[in-house]
Amino acid sequence: MNWEAIIANYPYLVSVIIFGIGIIIVLTQSNLLKKVIGLNIMTSAVFLFYIAFGNIEGGVAPILDPAAPAELYINPLPSGLILTGIVVGFSTSAFALALIVKMFSHYGTINAPDFMKMR
Amino acid sequence: MSKVPLYLILGGLIPSFAMPVLARWRKQACAPLTVLVCGGLFVMALLYGREMLIGGPFYQAVADWPPPWGIEIAIEPVSALMIVLITGLYLLIALFSSRALTKEINQDSIGWYYVEFLLCLTAMLGLVITHDIFNMYVFIEVVGISACALVVSKGDRTSTEASLKYLILATIGSGFILLAIGMLYMITGHLNMRFAGAILAQSAGQYPYMIWIMMTLFVVGFGIKSALFPLHLWLPDAHASAPSPSSAILSSLVVKVYIIALFKLFFIVFGNEFYQASNVRYLLIILGASAMLFGSFFAFVQLDLKRRLAYSTVAQLGYIYLGLGLATPWAIVAAFYHLMVHALMKTCLFLCAGAIYYQTGEKKVTRLRNIGYTMPLTAGSFTVAAFSMVGLPLTGGFISKYLLAVESMGASYPYFIALIVLSGLLNAAYYFPIIWQFYFVSAEQPVEKRTFHKDKIPFSMQLPIIITAAGIIVLGTAGVMAYDYLQQIVLHFLS
Repeated sequence: MNWEAIIANYPYLVSVIIFGIGIIIVLTQSNLLKKVIGLNIMTSAVFLFYIAFGNIEGGVAPILDPAAPAELYINPLPSGLILTGIVVGFSTSAFALALIVKMFSHYGTINAPDFMKMR
Repeated sequence: MSKVPLYLILGGLIPSFAMPVLARWRKQACAPLTVLVCGGLFVMALLYGREMLIGGPFYQAVADWPPPWGIEIAIEPVSALMIVLITGLYLLIALFSSRALTKEINQDSIGWYYVEFLLCLTAMLGLVITHDIFNMYVFIEVVGISACALVVSKGDRTSTEASLKYLILATIGSGFILLAIGMLYMITGHLNMRFAGAILAQSAGQYPYMIWIMMTLFVVGFGIKSALFPLHLWLPDAHASAPSPSSAILSSLVVKVYIIALFKLFFIVFGNEFYQASNVRYLLIILGASAMLFGSFFAFVQLDLKRRLAYSTVAQLGYIYLGLGLATPWAIVAAFYHLMVHALMKTCLFLCAGAIYYQTGEKKVTRLRNIGYTMPLTAGSFTVAAFSMVGLPLTGGFISKYLLAVESMGASYPYFIALIVLSGLLNAAYYFPIIWQFYFVSAEQPVEKRTFHKDKIPFSMQLPIIITAAGIIVLGTAGVMAYDYLQQIVLHFLS
């Protein structure tokens, strides 16, 4: 096991751990709102992963100043992709929350095991 | 015709957003407009397909940003096949839904239904023609969300629950896909499939673990979305509780475009040699084979007609995954053949289920007596599609299953032949009782005295059912002609 490589790349490890936590929340919690929170944690972990690999140590924000060009810029593309990812995550959770409201009006509860009993 | 496949996407996107406004003004105009849009897109897809056949695959950079940086749209053999299949079936389903929906969903939400209907079409077309990986992710999400909305459009509590289940699992799936796309970008620095593939071919040896993880994440992510066997839990609920035109779309097209996306990734980005050597192939073979068996077992015990059809989809997707897992050229031809035939069969079966519900209001498998006499054309089409599911000769299902059986012998897995035969027999075990009920179980009179009546469903609902049934027969009898085309796909993929 190459511990030094792991410690040097700790943002990736952290984001994968958070991703796992999100999935565990989605799969184990019975409350639907908590499931949606779990989904958000999961997608946020992926965003963190993108931001982490887009960063370059010692780099500056990629704004070209002709007077004083910097030596090293960070990669702006992952951040740009993540903007799209955030919009997608937002719309997914908005839709999920709307469905939960509808479930509540049908069943009077948002606790998943209760639906099975009420069929 | 100018080479602008972008119109294929915009052509569905713009009318879809006009729908709610139109519904406010003229509610009856929504359905004809949708049929018109789908028809226009079908013609456009045919023209692109013809152009591709004459001039070979063509690529276009969106907004004139050249490929490594900008988004690239490609009409290749596989995407040409898929755009023709998607728009053609959509035209038929739109025609069917113009009358069928009057009994299935609330008329106030009809404008919103067609928004989702066209948005799903747009996103599926985008997904099969795009060559940019992140663009593909966006289209995957749009397909996912609009498919969930198609399920919930009925608004009752089972469909709401099914839609929520689908949405949560689909979001987990796209989380996996997004993570894998991030890793791919990290290694290659490109989002264009061809460029990423070129870089990956040079540097694959440096990152062995990461590529394994990436492929597994892609398989799990797309597996959840396309209901690969142990991850199929959302499918029966969602497909059974949706309105029947939505079920036809979800079952025949939506799950297929994810398979296409997965295999575009495998063959363009990872490359054929790499894929042949990887262990992911065996995962697909094992899961596909178990889907064939267990999907049929689960279907056998269902009493709701649409639920039985939904579980049958799980089993049939197993054939496609098995063919793509075997990965010999002819196995891939078989997989694509089955993909085509299954799209036709499932559309036909779900539309028949919708027509039976429209005329009689019956949903249970045990209460379909006499349908063969009261709705002869519908029952006849259902019978053709069911025979094709089982794999009887002269139907399309026979050819794909035969090819798959021959190929599993060629790829030295002869025991899969037994599995294919067993799965076919199980299909017979759950389709034939329905057909038996249609024709031979007497409700009140003995069989000889019964006479055929005309179907009491509108012509716009009858026509799509008959066309799909005819398509199954055509694929089963004249299907050899499709081989050449499918071999082009394989050559394009495997080169």
